[in-house]
Amino acid sequence: VPVSSRQAFPLPSLPRKQPTVLVVCGPAQNGAIGLVCARHLRIFDYEPTIFYPKRSPDPLYRDFTTQCEKMDIPFLSYLPTEVQLINDAYNAVVDAVLGAEAEAGEGREPCAAILATLKHVRIPIVSLDVPSGWDVEAGSSGGISPDVLVSLSAPKQCARRFLGRQHFVAGRFLPYDVQKKFELNPPEYPGTECVVALRAPR
Amino acid sequence: DRDRCRPHRAMHGPSAGPGPRGLRFLGQEEAQAIDQELFTDYKFSVDQLMELAGLSCATAIAKAYPPSSFTTSQPAVLVVCGPGNNGGDGLVCARHLKMFGYEPTVYYPKRPNKPLFEGLTTQCQKMDIPFLPEFPAEAALIDELYGLVVDAIFGFSFKGAVREPFGSILGTLERITVPIASIDIPSGWDVEKGKADGLQPDMLISLTAPKKAAMHFAGRYHFLGGRFVPAALQEKYALNLPPYPETDCVLQLT
Repeated sequence: VPVSSRQAFPLPSLPRKQPTVLVVCGPAQNGAIGLVCARHLRIFDYEPTIFYPKRSPDPLYRDFTTQCEKMDIPFLSYLPTEVQLINDAYNAVVDAVLGAEAEAGEGREPCAAILATLKHVRIPIVSLDVPSGWDVEAGSSGGISPDVLVSLSAPKQCARRFLGRQHFVAGRFLPYDVQKKFELNPPEYPGTECVVALRAPR
Repeated sequence: DRDRCRPHRAMHGPSAGPGPRGLRFLGQEEAQAIDQELFTDYKFSVDQLMELAGLSCATAIAKAYPPSSFTTSQPAVLVVCGPGNNGGDGLVCARHLKMFGYEPTVYYPKRPNKPLFEGLTTQCQKMDIPFLPEFPAEAALIDELYGLVVDAIFGFSFKGAVREPFGSILGTLERITVPIASIDIPSGWDVEKGKADGLQPDMLISLTAPKKAAMHFAGRYHFLGGRFVPAALQEKYALNLPPYPETDCVLQLT
């Protein structure tokens, strides 16, 4: 995800002087991936800030949190409901709230409030795997509209309804027999890249 | 003879090296201390860092020895894995080499009884990476079958005598003519002083930061990998790492 974020929003092109990115992490695996993404964004010289209101008790995910804290990545104690504050402070939002495993998650707090706010941000949103709040298969009606989608392993059906600027797949490391078994027909990854763009940027 | 053509390098001091200005070359204890801090303070898991390290190695190899550059009919690579973490890095590297279009084969004679290494072995096996039952008897056989050897035998914790079967393995590797890419430390070398009559790899992938042994490295390609060291840790140890290009996980030093 950080690699595809970087490809979609190269540092020199960011509108704000500081390369700030807000990473919003949900309570489960999608949120944990967001934490890893934030750490790598920091290594790539972005300035991520994390909002992670409901922390997973999973020891692995707790270690991801420690790694971010020790790298001086700030954790917000609340998400501003005044959307203009988010628009002004950050260049982009990484949506790591809900993934393919979420079912009733989007209806529960704090996800519902987060999604209500994200629906109104004017800065680009990069969604991990599934735009949060969308049905994994049917997509969304009136949910968030990400600018960039990074499908993990393989695109989900709802990706057919994705209308944003760039769709990346991060699935290079799936073993061949898994690819064949599920008839994934993945695209060719260039060189040693771990992500590939499925659509040319508009 | 290959070795006589190697450029000679001047050394500028006990911890500065011939690389980019200011880049520090670590002693063995320092390297171990940094590692410990990553696990104890930063709470990285061995799995996480090993995966990033192995990926760096495969990426560096792909940059220096692209599959099209092999003279063997397939881009065949022999990955020799030692009994510890360096061997684990090798297993991860082999898996990513397969993803990048190479045909790796692994030799892994001493396997730790730990889930981490068992998992990495399974991942390779499930990707149809063969594991040799025995080491090729002759250097000439390795030269014939493989275009590159990855040395993942011993790393920065290595001390003292080389135990079998690795003594014989290193003896054979010292006689091959195909290039060797060593992970972190050329195996058999003293981590600080090197080994004049030891392995002469063509490539070295230093992980995290180069160790002092790298000052004696005379091969063509020196890469830095393991792009996971937090800025605060870099400052604490004054690593003076040059910037990595963009989102690359490796940096070519020479």
